[in-house]
Amino acid sequence: MANSKEEVILDSSELRFIEGHGKLLVKASGKDIVAEFHNLEGPRFLTKYLQGKPAEMAPLVASRICGLCFTAHSINSAEAIEKALGIKVSREVRDLRNVLYLANNLRSHMMHLLYLSIPPIKGLISVLRLSDKDVFKAGARLLAKSTELIEIWGGRSVHVPNVVVGGFGAPMKGKELLNSVNELEGLLPDAKKFVEYALDLELPELERYRLLAGLKKPGFYPVHSEDANMALTDGSVLNNQSYFDGLEEVTKEYSTSKHVYYRKSEITVGALSRIMLNRNYLSAGARKLAEEVEWSMNPFLIVKAQAVEVVHYIEELVKQSQELSDVMMEAHNPGVCSTMDADAGMACSFRGSKGKGISIAEAPRGTLCHSCEVEDGLIKDYKVYTPTAVNSKSIEADAVEMVKRFRPIGMEKLKFVLEDLVRSYDPCLSCAVSLDAFD
Amino acid sequence: MRLAFYSLTSCEGCLTTLITNLGPNLESLWNIFDIDYFKLVREPVGGSKVPKADIAFVEGAVVTNLDRKKLLEIRENSSFVVALGTCASSGNIAFTASRGVKLKNKKLRDVEIFEAEPISSVVTVDFELSGCPVSAEEFTDALLRLINNIEPIQPDYSVCYECRTKGNDCLLEKGRVCLGPLAMGGCGAACPSVGSPCYSCRGPATEADLEAYLKTLEKKGLDKKRAVLMLHMFTGKKAKELLKNGE
Repeated sequence: MANSKEEVILDSSELRFIEGHGKLLVKASGKDIVAEFHNLEGPRFLTKYLQGKPAEMAPLVASRICGLCFTAHSINSAEAIEKALGIKVSREVRDLRNVLYLANNLRSHMMHLLYLSIPPIKGLISVLRLSDKDVFKAGARLLAKSTELIEIWGGRSVHVPNVVVGGFGAPMKGKELLNSVNELEGLLPDAKKFVEYALDLELPELERYRLLAGLKKPGFYPVHSEDANMALTDGSVLNNQSYFDGLEEVTKEYSTSKHVYYRKSEITVGALSRIMLNRNYLSAGARKLAEEVEWSMNPFLIVKAQAVEVVHYIEELVKQSQELSDVMMEAHNPGVCSTMDADAGMACSFRGSKGKGISIAEAPRGTLCHSCEVEDGLIKDYKVYTPTAVNSKSIEADAVEMVKRFRPIGMEKLKFVLEDLVRSYDPCLSCAVSLDAFD
Repeated sequence: MRLAFYSLTSCEGCLTTLITNLGPNLESLWNIFDIDYFKLVREPVGGSKVPKADIAFVEGAVVTNLDRKKLLEIRENSSFVVALGTCASSGNIAFTASRGVKLKNKKLRDVEIFEAEPISSVVTVDFELSGCPVSAEEFTDALLRLINNIEPIQPDYSVCYECRTKGNDCLLEKGRVCLGPLAMGGCGAACPSVGSPCYSCRGPATEADLEAYLKTLEKKGLDKKRAVLMLHMFTGKKAKELLKNGE
């Protein structure tokens, strides 16, 4: 293990502009280069806490995994529990969740692009120092609007209480929501301005072959869809269960979170994987923007893939919300809050029920998988495989490749590019530590 | 005036709330104050060293050796320390979760973990802003008071009070266990307003009367055990204190 000839050639110290605490360490040992992506975030044991708790508490606790993609976690969680208990939610609930998922992904992408990934790529100490103030303002308006959507829909701007097992706690505030979505449509010029700025970024070239993975459903650009399968770029297509069965947890002594492999190898999930698999099915405006980019397996392109998705999410939000407008209007919305209508409370209704459930969806950072086992209405086992845990191996492999190719420019210069590389993946270390390395 | 924003073990949802909910006002903050540390917004001044600050806002619970070290450095370099959100003020879910868990291993190469604690277990805390997440309005209000040398205030009413003011149907009346009467308000009764019971994520209200609450549950034939389970969830160390006094 410890090799006396090992020399640390890069220590990023605590990374800035990422969610959670972590660092990148690169070591040289003769001609070998080794990279370690350290998760230094403490575990909060949320999934372990759920063991023995009533099943309906899962979305509430799972939401606390992440302060950026909380809605993804609570929706995946509600769905995993529903599947375990054999609860069938209405078509309306599924559709409304899909649209809420779009709003969640939009908000997370805007936060990442605006505050976290783009400023350091441009060499700025903060987005608040961006010389083109209009770009910042356009981005800030989009971030605020997507936050507002989540607040109206979910009941709060972070950790939404309205996503519950069985559907929604309360009916949508239809009019308010539709007005807000319509205002979002008015922000499309803002979005295009911001996205074009992102698409103009000059990014390093780093193409390295690996398998990309994401949900796929012909004719759609799936985000949260019950009948989408997992697809890999080698052509294989898997149902949720076989994908889940192929996931493998790997402990690293330097990281508080485990890495996740698929059938013993590396896969990469996230916006670039989705673009590579599904870009033909992007909304019209987003597809046009996507055509401007020469897509390849360069991880720096994740930033541009997210930018294209921003336009897609807005266009889809507007389209799907208008299609769902009848469901959103309170007066026409009796079926939405199915289980929570029961005055008796939910614990009773789940007593005696048992089963296993898996929910897989395309969260902002990539494919997110929640799985649970429920017995007698109580959670027996709960696992969360986050995109960051899946991508950790790719981050390390790319860092090695980068150092091998570009070491001659000097580690001092390379250091900043390597940090940008890590941030391109939009890692969330608070999320990743859900699969903690302490068991 | 120098401000600094830190996170320890957390979801960073409180810092994110400040960024997204302050919207353009964040730029005003940036223009008015020297924000020397806020890793989601800027490259910190002084690199990885903790800078001197007049007010430090700290999100997160103390779980790792690194959290502890950072928090001590923050205290040493900051005139006024505010606990930002429930992880920092009570330990949140991690407080209970890290106590019930069986682990083979508590030490990795650089990180050692301990039972989660609110920051007040490690350093003196000058003010607490609770909530999971914290409210951006309460943050702004507290900041305005602090810079004017006025003591910031915490809501002295319960979630019940806000819920009734909003005209919501009472969940307890509907036969659902809800911690509204015990919980500190200020959230606008966000959860009961969408039909989800209050889990007291901001800790106990000043007038929280556990005994009376449990009697009410008994009278209504509601599950007391469930109420205690819910109370332990977010209220962390403060639930422990409340229960010790009440039972």
